[in-house]
Amino acid sequence: MTTVLSAQGVSVSFGAVRALDGVDLEVQSDQLVGLIGPNGAGKTTFIDAVTGFVPSRGEITLGGRRISGMAPHDRARLRLARTWQTIELFDDLSVRENLSVSSRRSTMVSTVSEVLFGRPPRAEALAEEAMHLLELDEDAERMPNELPQGRRKLVGIARALASKPQLLLMDEPAAGLATNESLELGRILRNVVDSGLPILLVDHDMGLVLGICDYIYVLDFGKIIAQGTAEEIRHNPQVLAAYLGGSTSEAVATAEAAEEAAESEHAAK
Amino acid sequence: MSLNQVLVFLLLGLGSGGLIAGIGMGVVLSYRGAGVINISVGAIAMLAGFCYWALRTGDFGITFAAPWAVTLTLIFAIVLGLFFEGFCVRPLRRASPLAKLVATLGFLLSAQAAVILAFGESARPQPAILPGGTVLLFGGAVQINRFWIFGILLAITLLFAGIFRWTKFGLGTRAAAENEANATLFGLSPNRLSLVNTVAMSLTMGIVGLLAASIQSVDSQTLPLMVVPALAAAMFGSFTSFGITFVAGLLIGMAESLLTYFETFSWFPTSGGPGNPIPGVQELMIFVILVIAMLFRASRIPGRGDIIDRRLPAAPRPKAPMKGAIRWGALAAFAIWALPYGFREGLIYSLIATISLFSLVVITGYVGQLSVVQISLGGVAGFTVSHLFTNFGIAFPWAGIIGVIFAIVIGVISGFPALRVRGVGLVVVTLAATDAIQNFGFGNTTWGAGNTGAAVPSPSIFGFNFGSNATFHGLGGGEPSPLFGWFTLLLTIIIGLLICNLRRSGLGQEMLAVRANERAAAATGINVRNVKLIGFAIASGIAGVSGVLLAYSYGSITADSYGTLVALNFIAFGYIIGITTVPGAVQAAVGVPGGLFAFALLDWFGLQGNWLSFVGGFLLVLTLIHRPGGVALDIFYGPPKKPFKERPLGRMIFRPSPVLANGAAGADVTEGTTAGVSS
Ligand SMILES: Nc1ncnc2c1ncn2[C@@H]1O[C@H](COP(=O)(O)OP(=O)(O)OP(=O)(O)O)[C@@H](O)[C@H]1O
Ligand SMILES: [Mg+2]
Repeated sequence: MTTVLSAQGVSVSFGAVRALDGVDLEVQSDQLVGLIGPNGAGKTTFIDAVTGFVPSRGEITLGGRRISGMAPHDRARLRLARTWQTIELFDDLSVRENLSVSSRRSTMVSTVSEVLFGRPPRAEALAEEAMHLLELDEDAERMPNELPQGRRKLVGIARALASKPQLLLMDEPAAGLATNESLELGRILRNVVDSGLPILLVDHDMGLVLGICDYIYVLDFGKIIAQGTAEEIRHNPQVLAAYLGGSTSEAVATAEAAEEAAESEHAAK
Repeated sequence: MSLNQVLVFLLLGLGSGGLIAGIGMGVVLSYRGAGVINISVGAIAMLAGFCYWALRTGDFGITFAAPWAVTLTLIFAIVLGLFFEGFCVRPLRRASPLAKLVATLGFLLSAQAAVILAFGESARPQPAILPGGTVLLFGGAVQINRFWIFGILLAITLLFAGIFRWTKFGLGTRAAAENEANATLFGLSPNRLSLVNTVAMSLTMGIVGLLAASIQSVDSQTLPLMVVPALAAAMFGSFTSFGITFVAGLLIGMAESLLTYFETFSWFPTSGGPGNPIPGVQELMIFVILVIAMLFRASRIPGRGDIIDRRLPAAPRPKAPMKGAIRWGALAAFAIWALPYGFREGLIYSLIATISLFSLVVITGYVGQLSVVQISLGGVAGFTVSHLFTNFGIAFPWAGIIGVIFAIVIGVISGFPALRVRGVGLVVVTLAATDAIQNFGFGNTTWGAGNTGAAVPSPSIFGFNFGSNATFHGLGGGEPSPLFGWFTLLLTIIIGLLICNLRRSGLGQEMLAVRANERAAAATGINVRNVKLIGFAIASGIAGVSGVLLAYSYGSITADSYGTLVALNFIAFGYIIGITTVPGAVQAAVGVPGGLFAFALLDWFGLQGNWLSFVGGFLLVLTLIHRPGGVALDIFYGPPKKPFKERPLGRMIFRPSPVLANGAAGADVTEGTTAGVSS
């Protein structure tokens, strides 16, 4: 087990707003790490800081390499992938193109052979694989705006997977999904992690996060207020106060129900 | 140089500065009222100016006294505003800012063409409405009308600033700009707010048109193009501040005036011998000012909160391009041989225009940047060919190749601002660049054509002339020679096929990714900057080829061959038919003024090219409303697919993936456990 992502003292300010304040966070190579927190806690900002979309202070390393200060596309080329809260697909490209554009880098040589000699671009095994994995095959030639929201989310995830990342950051992938869909998604993510791709998962769905994550960080007002396993988080009084608020029992109940459901399905296999 | 003289010229600049400020006021009103970057405000002032001229001189049959003519002109301006709102603004309320801007371009073209059709190209000396006479200030004579213009526009500025600050209407407009639902909270309908703002704009433009009478004659170019400095002024005011726009407009006018003073000095750079100050310095200055304004203020242009549902039209993958190329290529090759010379000339011009539009397909259709400067880049290449021959004796093919390379260099340099500004901002900057290149570059006798035109030698290889003056005349007879037509056709087909390939290539997909979503593109590892610059390089090279061909086809070129009007017409027709696909570009090129269709109209019905621009402008707006993808998109690629049908997500079953696995844990892929934590 090695440390894939290490963030130390990451701070981001928007004018007077301190969106992140000295956040320390680590993701190990075999982990599905959850990052939760109330609205406006700074979760998206953290992903933006790691991927280079907002300027930040502090140290961020990816696979032992320092990436703070690098341009977003350079970080992506170190195989850091992300999905977006707002999906952000390439609306002018078909689903297949969305995926292949993420897994392939055009070079001078490839461009010349494709443009001058009309060679079709190389088929992307990774893109096909990711499409398969999320069962998007029948939508391969569709345009993103022809797909319902749920499938668009899957395309976004598949696009991130198609770049064969060493770390995947996901911003609320389960938002807007029905409970059974989000359970399904949870299982996929779990398996992706177990097949060797660590994930940092940001989500509001407590059931999902507590149900599948190995380790969980809780963010509030830009600060990490708690961290630990699902069990520890569930019983952490600070978290209960800050995040779960009044509806503690309810949230815990959904979390437990989700876990049970996942286990029973697993047992049924 | 004396300080007094400088002061006198600064005061003289109050006149044109006031007009720029006034047109800038119109830009701000259009933006605040409807979120439109309106490049037709100057044209509306011009229409009012011509109206006044016609009423005063009896061109319509009756001669009116000044007060009546003024009243009628202002009523005309209001009617124009109502029409503008109903035709260009309201139907495109939810369109993207770029589509809105392009619609105003349509209005500009129609207005200009209408004026030329009705009154001809020559400038009309206008009866002044402001009192004449001069006052002696700083030892120089300054016309009183300058102070009148300043005073009237200052009053208008203060009026608008006050209205927007303190009245319910102003607050409502500001609220609506943030979020249309907000306006309804004030009990005001967003539609009505937009209407009142547009009419205020057109009325102001009516006043500007009247005032312009006193310091310049009316023509079809001056006032419409004054929108360029006015946009620069409005940019300083972030398109929202009346006060800043007014001051910036005045300062720009004064700086222009000062430049005319400097031109009288011997140290001022000349072109074509002493006594001829270098032309186009004013336009160059405005371009520089605009770029500065852009870099400092662009990020402060407030976004608007309305719902936008239309973006650039789709750029689908080409279907069977080779088949199309062979079929249409064979037909065109035959037509070039068989058509009578006039039609042949029109066809060859259309082919050259096709290549120009191909460059727009790349930069706009693929990379998503609408750049007006492409035609000028063609001109850069064309003039390079001409000067390489006259100054250095370099001829085909090297001159052409060097010309294209030169176009690429200038194109990439001009692409750098596009890394900072996009969308409507880029249109504004490139419009100013086009104006500057035309006046400063092409108007110059040393590196442009001056007023006369620059000679271009015929292309020939190993002594075999295949230029438009070659002796082979084909079935139709006369020049241009079919040989040159075939050469042009060949290049058109090759470039067309290459662009189809580009769309399918990995690079093409990266371009479309950038066009669709720059952030997401960067997050997948695409270097957005490089992709854009490569796009600019390719597009500029293609534009260069077209410019070189145009130079060869005429045998002599003038600044107007590559002028702003040509550029705007090409963009208009490109948008009508389809600016994002190869078939769209080909058909659009058949329609452009000067092309095949235009010649047919002239030959069969005696209709001049301006009719085409006149109708084209209206068609452009109608297309944007009803067929935002352009007409060709639907014909060639079928009607747009319906947005998704809702479908259950379905059960997803995970299949272990050896490709995705990073190796480490790939061996023991198991399902859904939380037992992965180990240390
Ligand atoms: N571009 C920005 N400019 C100014 N403030 C911002 C910007 N982006 C985020 N913020 C502020 O930073 C804080 C954190 O926002 P962030 O989007 O990271 O929260 P989040 O935890 O992702 O919330 P949510 O659960 O709603 O997605 C919020 O207070 C937000 O208003
Ligand atoms: Mg968020």
